[in-house]
Amino acid sequence: MSTPTQTTPPNGSGLSRFRELWNDYLPYWFMTPMVIVMLLITIFPGAYDLYLSLVKYNLANPATIGQFNGLTNFETAFTSGGAVNSFTLTILFVAGALALETSIGFVLAALVTGVRSSWMRTFYRIAFILPMAVAPVSLATITRIMLNTEIGVIPYLIGDFTPFTAPSFLSDVPLLTIILVDTWNWTPFMFIIFYAGMSSVPETLLEASRVDGAPLWRRYLHVIIPYMKPVLFVAILIRLIDLFRTFGLVFTLTHGGPGTATELVSINIFQTGFTFVDLGGAAAVAVVYLVGIVALCNVLIIKIGFEGVWD
Amino acid sequence: MTIQRNRRDFIKTTSVGLLGGLAGCTRGGSSDDSGGAESGNPSLSLNEYENADIDWQQFEGSSINIGAVQHPWVSAIEPVVPVFEELTGVEVNWNVLPEQEYRTKRLTDVGTGAGEWDVFFVDQVVNQFREAGWIQPLDPYFADDSMYDEDWYAMDDLFEATRWQAHGGGYSDTWTGSPITVEVQTQFYRTDLYEEHGLEVAETFEEFRSNARTLHEKAPDVIGTTGRGQQGYGMNIYVLNTFIREHGAQLWDDYPDNSGLDSEGALSAAEWYVNLLQDYGPGGVASQTWSDVLSTMQSGRAGHIVSDANLFWPNLVDQETSDVAEDIGVAKVPAPVDGEFAPNAYAWQISISENASNPEGAFLFMLWASSEPTNTWIHLNSSAAFSVRQSVWENEEFRSRVGENFAQVTLESLQAAAPDPFDSYYPQWGQTYSEELQTAIGGNQDVKEAMTSAATVAEGITSE
Repeated sequence: MSTPTQTTPPNGSGLSRFRELWNDYLPYWFMTPMVIVMLLITIFPGAYDLYLSLVKYNLANPATIGQFNGLTNFETAFTSGGAVNSFTLTILFVAGALALETSIGFVLAALVTGVRSSWMRTFYRIAFILPMAVAPVSLATITRIMLNTEIGVIPYLIGDFTPFTAPSFLSDVPLLTIILVDTWNWTPFMFIIFYAGMSSVPETLLEASRVDGAPLWRRYLHVIIPYMKPVLFVAILIRLIDLFRTFGLVFTLTHGGPGTATELVSINIFQTGFTFVDLGGAAAVAVVYLVGIVALCNVLIIKIGFEGVWD
Repeated sequence: MTIQRNRRDFIKTTSVGLLGGLAGCTRGGSSDDSGGAESGNPSLSLNEYENADIDWQQFEGSSINIGAVQHPWVSAIEPVVPVFEELTGVEVNWNVLPEQEYRTKRLTDVGTGAGEWDVFFVDQVVNQFREAGWIQPLDPYFADDSMYDEDWYAMDDLFEATRWQAHGGGYSDTWTGSPITVEVQTQFYRTDLYEEHGLEVAETFEEFRSNARTLHEKAPDVIGTTGRGQQGYGMNIYVLNTFIREHGAQLWDDYPDNSGLDSEGALSAAEWYVNLLQDYGPGGVASQTWSDVLSTMQSGRAGHIVSDANLFWPNLVDQETSDVAEDIGVAKVPAPVDGEFAPNAYAWQISISENASNPEGAFLFMLWASSEPTNTWIHLNSSAAFSVRQSVWENEEFRSRVGENFAQVTLESLQAAAPDPFDSYYPQWGQTYSEELQTAIGGNQDVKEAMTSAATVAEGITSE
């Protein structure tokens, strides 16, 4: 019996070696385009931002550009640069707007889900998502006029149709005003996601709870909200991240004022970078902001997301 | 004061406000006062330029890129740009952007050395850009006999304030650019209400305050005055700087050590302006921008504007945009009894980028654009009213178009005006100064505290 001759691996042409390499690392090749894109749009700008934060980079003072500056940019930003005030205001703004948008969005979704006529449901759906179609800067421009104490519709309506005198919104209650305007603009986003989530709750579960005699509030508390947990979590997380990026609306409405009463971190960074042309100082605030947001989101995803929603 | 308004008034004023707010203005102008230049064949003759001892054709076949903000000057001059192209053989490419977008793009273009623009609009950042080496001095071009004819250009015809500003407001010995538009602080008032209440046009601060009080208290539906309270270095401090100068004080008594912001004159000026707005201004005056000021006056809700850009005039007297077009009067800004009339003038200039690929072509364009024939033509053939040349303001046809009184008030104001000294750190300390002033106007801080704080910050920044 002849023994089969052991074939030796082809002593390979370049093409076959490439094919072998391709097959061995196939999953990595598939990942490569995404890794390159990530490097270009995330890692590189982040690393460059970190570099800028550690050097002198004031465009008005070209002789010193690029000199290593240690942590001085951070120290300046958080002592005389108003960064502490900006971080505090941003947290208040994000917390206020997120709470309002989430609660109002949920209530609106619940109300529309309860409407029996499909025609009316469609009407409400369209009506409630319209504000989201308005660009923030356009909204801010129109809102400025609507809130004007002399020619604005809102002070007029409050003054003539209620027993109250309208405040000077942008001067007396600027932070509350930007929260309310953002709420008007972005509650539709929460509404539409919550509405989709509520519509996907199985009718059998609702039917069972009704047969068991559960009142409406119990159905929400024990059936609908638990079922919607992933939807709620994702919507809040997306909106949270987006709120931290708010710029155009506030910049157009108040320019960060009066004084620094609405100077969110995004506005502080813009002014430091584009008005004062101190890119090093702006980068320092941006680095802290980026790290803070990424850390917060990771904590939320790990602690609430994985342990509370998807476990 | 009780305010009574009916639904019709409300709809009307809101519409006016919307129009005014969305007009896309830049520091006092508006898109509405831009246009008007007839399309088709412009009647500007080449002969006007061929008389000059300048070799217009020496850069034939080249092109220049202009970075511009959306400003009435652009739409006023565009119809005759083909004349320049025919005269020189240089092709002109525009890159016109909204103001905020323009500022960002400008910074990245010059800061990174991209050099996409040969020539671009420059404002309060002139010294910041000059010291950073981003703009070229024009002196070598003026010294070139083939590019400049002193007799033809008539340099003295440019207002001194504009020439001064083109020298970095006094910080530069060389030309940093060519002025293309100028605006000056003027007073606006309601003639019908003045007649009704027997008021005289104010020349002094005391008279103005008295007039504002009278209208605030006696005229129904009208606040005494309106004015810029919003922060930003083109907002509240743009108005206040006139009053500081009229009080005998000045910004930067001694640069960079003494900002002058906490001087006696500056404090008096700030006290007067803040008290005026708080006592007779609109609610929420601290957040009033120039467009709010314009809209409020257009809608007939204010008796005065104590001091603002004369460029408001076309919008205020335009029947399409103003409810009180027939009843607007214009006068020189008031001054303290023991002070001097010294309004603040502001000019847009165009400068040549350090990285320009065709700086010579750009210079010829600047010369052509700011020359007397071009200025006269655009001011006679559009609704423009921002000429940097005295001859235009003295031109009978122009005066007839814009109104004799408006032309005379502007001319006299410009002749007495001075620009603000925008040093290289102005964007930075100016922002803080305006924030402090806004807080005082809003009543959340004492004026002296605000101005002292602004002075400390300004001197701290410049001494770094």
